[in-house]
Amino acid sequence: MTVQLPPNSDGDPVLAAGPQTHVTLPAPAIELINAARWYGNVVAVNDVSFSLGAGVTGLLGPNGAGKTTVLHMLAGFLAPSAGTVHVLGRSPNRDPSVYRQIGLVPEREAVYPFLTGLDYVRFNARLQGLTNSDQASRDAIRRVGLEDAMDRPIGTYSKGMRQRAKVAGALVHDPQVLLLDEPFNGMDPRQRLAMMDLLTEMAAAGRTILFSSHILEEVERVGNDILVMVAGRLAASGDYRAIRALMTDRPHTITIRSSDDRRLAASLMGDSAIFGVELGAAGLSVRTAHLSVFRRLIAGASRSAGVRLFEVVSGDESLESVFDYLVRR
Amino acid sequence: MSATARTAPAGNIYDLGYRHYEGKRHGRWYAVWSLYVEGMRGVWGFGRPMTAKAAPFILTGLYALPALIQLAFSSIISQSIATGEASARDIATYSDYFAAASFFMVLFLVAQAPELVCRDQRYHVLPLYFTRALGRADYAFARLAALTTAVFMALMVPMIALFIGDILMKPDTLKAIGDEWPRALPSIPASALGALSLSSIALALSSFSPRRAYAAVGLVAYFLLMGIVPDVIFQVGRHAGWDWADKLMTLNPTGAISAAADWFSGAPLVTTGRDGGLPATLGADAYVLAVVVSIVVFTAVLLFRYRRMPA
Amino acid sequence: MMFTRSVAAIPLIVQITLRQLLGRRRTVLLLLLAGVPVLLAIVFRAANDADVAGFATGVLDAVAVTLLLPIVAVLFGTAAFGAEIEDGTILYLLAKPISRWAVVAAKYLGAVGVTTLLTVASVLVAGAIEMGPLGEEGAAATRAFMAAMLVGSFGYVAVFLTLSLFTRRALLIGLVYVLVWEGALSTLLPGIANLSIRQFSLGVANAFWQMAPDEARLTPSTALPLAIILVVVALVLAAWKLMRFELPGGTD
Repeated sequence: MTVQLPPNSDGDPVLAAGPQTHVTLPAPAIELINAARWYGNVVAVNDVSFSLGAGVTGLLGPNGAGKTTVLHMLAGFLAPSAGTVHVLGRSPNRDPSVYRQIGLVPEREAVYPFLTGLDYVRFNARLQGLTNSDQASRDAIRRVGLEDAMDRPIGTYSKGMRQRAKVAGALVHDPQVLLLDEPFNGMDPRQRLAMMDLLTEMAAAGRTILFSSHILEEVERVGNDILVMVAGRLAASGDYRAIRALMTDRPHTITIRSSDDRRLAASLMGDSAIFGVELGAAGLSVRTAHLSVFRRLIAGASRSAGVRLFEVVSGDESLESVFDYLVRR
Repeated sequence: MSATARTAPAGNIYDLGYRHYEGKRHGRWYAVWSLYVEGMRGVWGFGRPMTAKAAPFILTGLYALPALIQLAFSSIISQSIATGEASARDIATYSDYFAAASFFMVLFLVAQAPELVCRDQRYHVLPLYFTRALGRADYAFARLAALTTAVFMALMVPMIALFIGDILMKPDTLKAIGDEWPRALPSIPASALGALSLSSIALALSSFSPRRAYAAVGLVAYFLLMGIVPDVIFQVGRHAGWDWADKLMTLNPTGAISAAADWFSGAPLVTTGRDGGLPATLGADAYVLAVVVSIVVFTAVLLFRYRRMPA
Repeated sequence: MMFTRSVAAIPLIVQITLRQLLGRRRTVLLLLLAGVPVLLAIVFRAANDADVAGFATGVLDAVAVTLLLPIVAVLFGTAAFGAEIEDGTILYLLAKPISRWAVVAAKYLGAVGVTTLLTVASVLVAGAIEMGPLGEEGAAATRAFMAAMLVGSFGYVAVFLTLSLFTRRALLIGLVYVLVWEGALSTLLPGIANLSIRQFSLGVANAFWQMAPDEARLTPSTALPLAIILVVVALVLAAWKLMRFELPGGTD
């Protein structure tokens, strides 16, 4: 199955279905056309197409979905096995000059531990050939809110501080495209918010920002476009909230043990939110599309039917199962 | 998962049907034994991919090669001795074999000793061991025993080949076994002592690095330095009339082990040879003593290292 | 633009490399190792052993060239890139608008610098202690082995640095090369001299002080060009490989 997605122009979510028409915007900053990457027999990224312009986009997916592979292809550290990868209109592979316009925040935590935060950012600025490297470095440090710690060696930093130092180093040359691999790892909620604000601010200034995450909630605040990858393929793209709704409105299966399963079943069947009820040895299986409605319903139903609830087990709520649902569709 | 609480005033732990272990518990010695067996398999690469078997088997093969060649050509050799074309002195003997081929045995240790101890540190496995029935000293001894056994096996390969070869050279096999046995027997304790000595050095030094490659470099540096430096000082001292310099020669592990092999077999020390040989002023007892002291010292270092190591 | 930026980046990367290579526990061990020739020089002096050839062969060749030089070079040579690849910090160097040859050159200069410093200094001090009072011949022999250390540092570090870009087991392979190829095999097969960094070094040393022909098998006029070709080929290969640098695979 080929997945081709139009650029997220209208905000409508598009779930991977059949081949669709490919619409091109004038010169997207990031463009993947049928890009694939495999290692021997293992396919890490399978026939992925999308293009992004200015704005913040989240690249979501469970571990092993191929997010890092996509970012590394965009950063020029992996050649696609098939298809095309373009950043600012050219192939980033084997052409170091593109890094003048790309900032990369890798997932690996290590930063030269003997450098101070400021020295590290300044090192990046100088390698970028900035003439005002000192001023640019101090600005970048300020933007990530690391002024207090900038004279301490990075070896003494906490995870979140190190993450911010990496981001400062990657944006010191004000790149057109910023790629961040799991940037919110190790950040506390407040730092996460500050980082989100920073990314949104850069996007407003016309930069293209793509970050990856395997935690759905992390993206909540950006309120922007997301791409969802599952098992090496693009499973969904579009507005975060719309996709989120599609994900939560999928059928859920809930298992209930009660003092009288049969009577409870009869009472539940009356509601339109319930698709199906099944009596089994393990208890009562209920299928519903709306978890929130069900939660309110079950309390009333058991009270009115005079049934005591022993156990209510809802199906797997992890992101993995959500993604799983998306690909099986 | 949400379970409806049964009547519980302050707090409760529900038994949701955890699986309890009802079987027999083997205890500490079983754990040590398991670690020993696992370690020995690790040194030889059993239960691991072919690439892990390459180094130990190839190096043992190279170490045993002269003996295997002698075994393969034993009939020809015996004829040429009989016709006087070769003299019996050209043939490798049990006690001087190690001195000639020790290079490959040292490489065996350089390749395999770090395998046993470095990765446990690198991947932080030690805390998992130490919170079990196993103590820190138990771990060290199990590893040392595993390496010693493996090295002993490797050392015995050419000894057995020599034994078979010597028997095949004689017309009367049964009589040959009876004649040869007393000469071959000392190679067993000599190999055991040598294996323990080499293993204790290699393991103690390796335990200081979590990285195998660095441990290997350290071992190479140690064995090469001990082969060169005492000899250089001894040669210089001979001209200068330093009568203490000969004792430094006991610091070379491979030299001391080959001298100890001579002690076990009662053969005279080789006091001349490619590298100038061993000093004639020292008896074989001195080397045996040096080997024993080295074993004690390096085992102590190993134990000390594991006692102090943050797990 | 790219070129000037690349050249300007070299001293910055050299500086980072130096800080990475030094200031670790292994540097202390290497200092101890570099002290061995000095220690032996003191022993020779104490014994009043005034034999230029004896010290040159027994210590400067057997310990400094055969042992100290390859071990220092293999550790620093493979660590220059090895540590960065292992930690992933290499991305901070490669995701920059500078040519990859500049990165190779900077790493090479850094690693060669510390290797040369340690090994040449060791020979210089050892030579000064033992050979100082031995007149012109002693000085010539010391110069010869300092030259050997210099050539050897450039040669070994180039090979090991390049090796570390091709395999993660560069340190062990380098060790096997030194022990088996240059050690055991070259005594059996003298032809290996043409392909041995150790012999290149000793060959160049011959220009300053004539060694026994079975010790240094090459003449300076063969050894130096061979050493230069080796370094150039190795570094070009390293730059070629770094240009194609891909992140270690995985399905993450």
